[in-house]
Amino acid sequence: MTGGTILRCWLALMVLLALTTGIAFIPLGEANLFVSLAIAATKALLVLIVFMELRASSSLIRAAAASGFFWLMIMIVLTTADYTHRTDQRAPIDIVR
Amino acid sequence: MSEAAPDTSLGFQYATAAQQRETVTLGMWTFLATEVLFFGALIAAYFNYRIWFGAEFIAAARMTKVVLGTINTGVLLTSSACMAMAVTTYEAGARRTPVLWLTGTAMLGVAFVLIKGFEYSLEYQEHLVPALNFDLARHGGIAEIFFMFYFCATGLHALHLLIGIGLVAWLATWIGTGRIDRSGSTVRLIGLYWHFIDIVWIFLFPLIYLAGRNG
Repeated sequence: MTGGTILRCWLALMVLLALTTGIAFIPLGEANLFVSLAIAATKALLVLIVFMELRASSSLIRAAAASGFFWLMIMIVLTTADYTHRTDQRAPIDIVR
Repeated sequence: MSEAAPDTSLGFQYATAAQQRETVTLGMWTFLATEVLFFGALIAAYFNYRIWFGAEFIAAARMTKVVLGTINTGVLLTSSACMAMAVTTYEAGARRTPVLWLTGTAMLGVAFVLIKGFEYSLEYQEHLVPALNFDLARHGGIAEIFFMFYFCATGLHALHLLIGIGLVAWLATWIGTGRIDRSGSTVRLIGLYWHFIDIVWIFLFPLIYLAGRNG
């Protein structure tokens, strides 16, 4: 990690911050959420790869770094899948009982 | 005193310094993975509230202070760049420069907390603090749930940041006075912690401040 790399990474983060704030005020409907999350993921990856030195780390460290986010994805996807599909109707198994 | 001093920096269980460095880094990342899930649970709750309550929940997010939030994001991203500079200059063997970068990091951290505190005071004046003075008749129950999430998430984040500021201040003092063990990984590990706090905010920022701005 050199000073130049850090400076370029910081500039990229500032540009992305300005971009995400600007886009948030443009009406895109549901897409606003996904665009802002995509930009957030890009910013996080820049911090992870450059500032947190994953670029120069071994595969073991990279795997450990990814594991937390991987488990988080499982938690968010399964919880959200559950809540989006809840209805007031009874499940067939409960009707049989 | 002709005996060579034993190498106290290397733990007895390690064969080489590189192995010790790899092991402590792995330990830090394992701790950070638990922190990802800690804040992740809050973010999972946010998504489910957003799905359940839809427009009303997003409308509550519009009451947050987007200008202060954006400034704070810039402050925190800059503090991370300062931290990275501190680690780089320290590992290159410098003594004075990393102390200056660390001081910059801590001061930006303090600036973040002060701006956040100012924001909290504005929200207090607008009767937006659940359990303290939330105006249910004026803002509604869904807004109260949003601000419950807001204060939990930003409060826990600020707590992490305060711990980080303390660690960085301690680090600057120890490097400045030359008491730090040069062969250790302390500077890099505290750096990883600081950058992690930054990543949490990177995700909280769009969810809290940018939601519902197009309406």
